[in-house]
Amino acid sequence: MVKRYLAVLLSGLMIMGSVCLTGCGSTSETATTDTKEETTKEETKEETKEDTKEDAKEDTAAGGDNLSESKDLLAAAEKDLKTTDGHEMMAAGTTAEVPEATASAEDLEKLEDTDKEKWHFYEYLDWDTANDATFPESPADGQKGKKVVLIVHGAHAWTTCYQEAFEAACDAVGMECEVYDPNWDQSTQDGYVDQAINEDPDAIVVIPVSADHAAQQFKKICDAGIAGFCSNTLPEADAMNYIMAYTGPDDWAQMRNLASALGKAMDGKGGVCYITHNVGTSPYYARTYGPMSTLATEYPDIKSLDVQSPGFEAAAVKQVVSDWITKYGDELNAIVLADDSDQAIGAVEACKDAGRSDIKIVAAGNSKQGSELVESGDLFEMSYQSCQADAGLAVRTISEYFCGEDIARVSYIGTDIINKDNVADFTPCQW
Amino acid sequence: MSEVKNNTNPGPTPKVDTRKTEINKFSLIFNKLGIWVIVILLAVVGMIVSKGDFFSSANIQSILEAVALIGMVSSGLIFVVYAGNMNDMSIPMTMAMSGMMTVQCINFGFPIALLIGLLTGAFIGVINGFMIGKLRANPIIWSWGFNMLLSGIARVVWGGKQLYADSIAKDTEYAQNAAETFYAIARTNVFGIFSIMILVMLVMFVIAWFIHTKTSYGQKAKIVGSNYEVAKFSGINCAKVAMITYVIDGVAAAVGGIFFSALRKTASYENGTGYDFSCVTAVLLGGVALAGGKGSVVGTFGGVLAYGILNNVLSWIGLGTYEKYLVQGLVFLFIVWLNTYSNRKLGKG
Repeated sequence: MVKRYLAVLLSGLMIMGSVCLTGCGSTSETATTDTKEETTKEETKEETKEDTKEDAKEDTAAGGDNLSESKDLLAAAEKDLKTTDGHEMMAAGTTAEVPEATASAEDLEKLEDTDKEKWHFYEYLDWDTANDATFPESPADGQKGKKVVLIVHGAHAWTTCYQEAFEAACDAVGMECEVYDPNWDQSTQDGYVDQAINEDPDAIVVIPVSADHAAQQFKKICDAGIAGFCSNTLPEADAMNYIMAYTGPDDWAQMRNLASALGKAMDGKGGVCYITHNVGTSPYYARTYGPMSTLATEYPDIKSLDVQSPGFEAAAVKQVVSDWITKYGDELNAIVLADDSDQAIGAVEACKDAGRSDIKIVAAGNSKQGSELVESGDLFEMSYQSCQADAGLAVRTISEYFCGEDIARVSYIGTDIINKDNVADFTPCQW
Repeated sequence: MSEVKNNTNPGPTPKVDTRKTEINKFSLIFNKLGIWVIVILLAVVGMIVSKGDFFSSANIQSILEAVALIGMVSSGLIFVVYAGNMNDMSIPMTMAMSGMMTVQCINFGFPIALLIGLLTGAFIGVINGFMIGKLRANPIIWSWGFNMLLSGIARVVWGGKQLYADSIAKDTEYAQNAAETFYAIARTNVFGIFSIMILVMLVMFVIAWFIHTKTSYGQKAKIVGSNYEVAKFSGINCAKVAMITYVIDGVAAAVGGIFFSALRKTASYENGTGYDFSCVTAVLLGGVALAGGKGSVVGTFGGVLAYGILNNVLSWIGLGTYEKYLVQGLVFLFIVWLNTYSNRKLGKG
C-alpha cells in the first residue's frame, strides 16, 4: 500500500517537474525571443530616431522642411485641439508682472499672515536670473520627431486627464512621448529623473512631487544637456535657474480673484473659515493665504476665524464645518476651500444639515462635483483650472522651443472664475 | 548554676509574599468600562469647552456622521483583529472596488448594483480567508499585496478614471433614478434626526455584537485568536473561521465603500485610502488586543466614538491642525497604555 502511494507520489512529482522544466524552458526561450525582439525593436527605434534627427538636420540645412512642417503641425494643433468643455487646448499662455520684493525672504517671513507682502516669494517665481545655468540651445529644427519624457507626480483622476491631454497634444504636433508615474513618491520620482536622463530624450517635463526637490531634479537635467520643463506645480523659486520654462495655473491670481468676488458678495463684513490643501504644498499657500491676505487688504472688516487641514475626505471636512457652524454660529459667513470636489461636498452637506444656506462657499476647481454644486447654487464660485489646457500649454511651449522661438520662462493658463451664470461654458467637465 | 539559655535561633524565616495583592480600583473600573471611561471624560471636557452646546442634536449628529464610515468598517475589522490576524491591509481597495462595482452596475437598478457591491466585498473576503486561513499566508503581507493587486486591477480596468453614477447611468428614467438613489443614501435623514449612514453604522454594530457574543463562530474566533494551535487541536476548523472572519470584514468594508462613494458622488480607486489604519486604531482604542482573542464590539464602538469626540472637542478648543495631531497622538497612546496597564494589574496582560 505504502509502495503504491510512493509510486503515485513519485510519478506526480516527475510529471510536475517535467511540466515545470518544459514551462521554464519555453518561458526562457520566449523571454529570449522577446528580448531579442525588443533589442531589435529598440535598435530600429534608435535607428529611426537617429534617422529622424538626421533627416531633420538635413531638412533644416535644405531649407528647414522639418521646421516648417513642425510649425504647420503646431498651428493646426493650436487651432484644432479642444478641451472636453470646448475651449482651446493649446491656447497661448499669459505672463504675470513680478513686483519688486520690499525685503528679503527672511524678513518677509516675519510679517503677519494677512499681509500680502509676506507671500511674495511664494506667489511669484522671483528668482535671480544672474544665477541661471547654461541651458541647451534650441536646435531650431522643429518639434516633429522629438522625444519628450513626462514625469508626473502621482496617480489621480486629474493626472490621468492631464496625461491623456499631453499625449494627444504630442501626437498632434508630431512628438513622441513617454510617461512615468512615481505614485507620489519623491525618491521614485528622483529615480525616474535619472532614468529619463539616461534615455537621452530631447526634453523632460516634470510635475514635481515637492517644490523643494525641484532644484536638484532640474539641475541634473540641465547638467545632462537636456531641456527641462516644469509643469503645473510651482517649484521653489531657485529651481528656475535650471528650468527652461514653467507652465501651469496661476493659483494665486485665481484665488485672489475669488476672494475679491467673495468679499464683495459679503458686503465687506463677516467671518471666513479656510480649509486648506496638503500642508506645505504650493496650493496650500496659494489657496489659503492668497484669499486671506486679499480679503484683509480689500475688506478689513472681514475676519479670518479659523484655518483647518482635515484633508480631502468629505466626511472629515463635514465634521470640521459642522463644528465651525456650532462654534461660530452667525459669525461664520463664508468658507474658502482648496478643493471643489470632496471638500466642497463635505462643506455643502454640513451647511445644508445645519440649514445654513446663507454661508457662501468658494473653492479652487474644477471637477464635475464642483461644477454641479455651482450649478445648483450650493457653491458660490470656483476657479477654472483646465487640466487639459495645462498639458496643452506645456506641449505648446516645448514645441515653440524646438522651433527656435523665444519662450516665456513663466507662463500661465487662463484664470477664469466659474459661477452660476457661466458654468454651462465649462461643461462637460474634464475629469 | 548554669543558666539555661533558650535557643534564640529563630530558624528559617517564613516566606512572606510581599507582592501587592490589593487590586487597583481604577484598573478594575477601567478594565470593566474600558474606553467608555475616556468617552465620558471627553464628553465632560466637551461640555465645558462648548459651554453646554456639546449635547446639542446638531453636534451629536456631527460627531456620529464623522465616524459613521469608520464605524461601519470597524464593525467588521474587529473580527479580523479578534481572530488573531492583526489587521486587514486590503480594506482600502475593498472599499474602493465595492464602490466602483456598485457605480459600474448602476444601470441594473439600485438594489442589484448594491448587491453586486456587497458581493464584491464578500468575494474579496473569500480570497483573503482562503489564503490566510487555508494556505496560512501571513495576514499582513498577503492583504497588503492583495491590496496592491486590486489597486492595479482597478487602474487597468477603469484607466485610472473616476466613475460617476449619473454619467454611467443610461438615459432611461430607471437608470437615472438608480443613480439618484445611490447619491441619496449618504444624504438622507431618518425621521429628520439621524442620517441613514449613522443608522446603518448602529445596525452593523448590533449585528457584530450578536455574532460576537451569541454565535458559536464568536466563541471559536476567540479561541483561534487566543491560541491557534489549541484551537486546531480542539477540533475547530480554523480555516473556516478565517473564511467567515474575512467575509464579514469584506462585507463591512464594502458597505463603508459604497457609502463613501455615494457621499463623494464618485467611485475611484483612491476611495478608502487610510481606512486600514484609522479603523484598526479605533478597534485597538476599544480594547481589542492586537494579538487576538481579547476585546468586545461594545468597546470597539466606544473606540470609534472616542475618535470622533476627540476631534470635536479639539475643534471646540480651537486647536490648529498640527496641534490636533499632537494631542490626538498623545491621547491615543495614553488610552493604549491604560488598556495595557489595567490588564497587567489585573493579571490579564
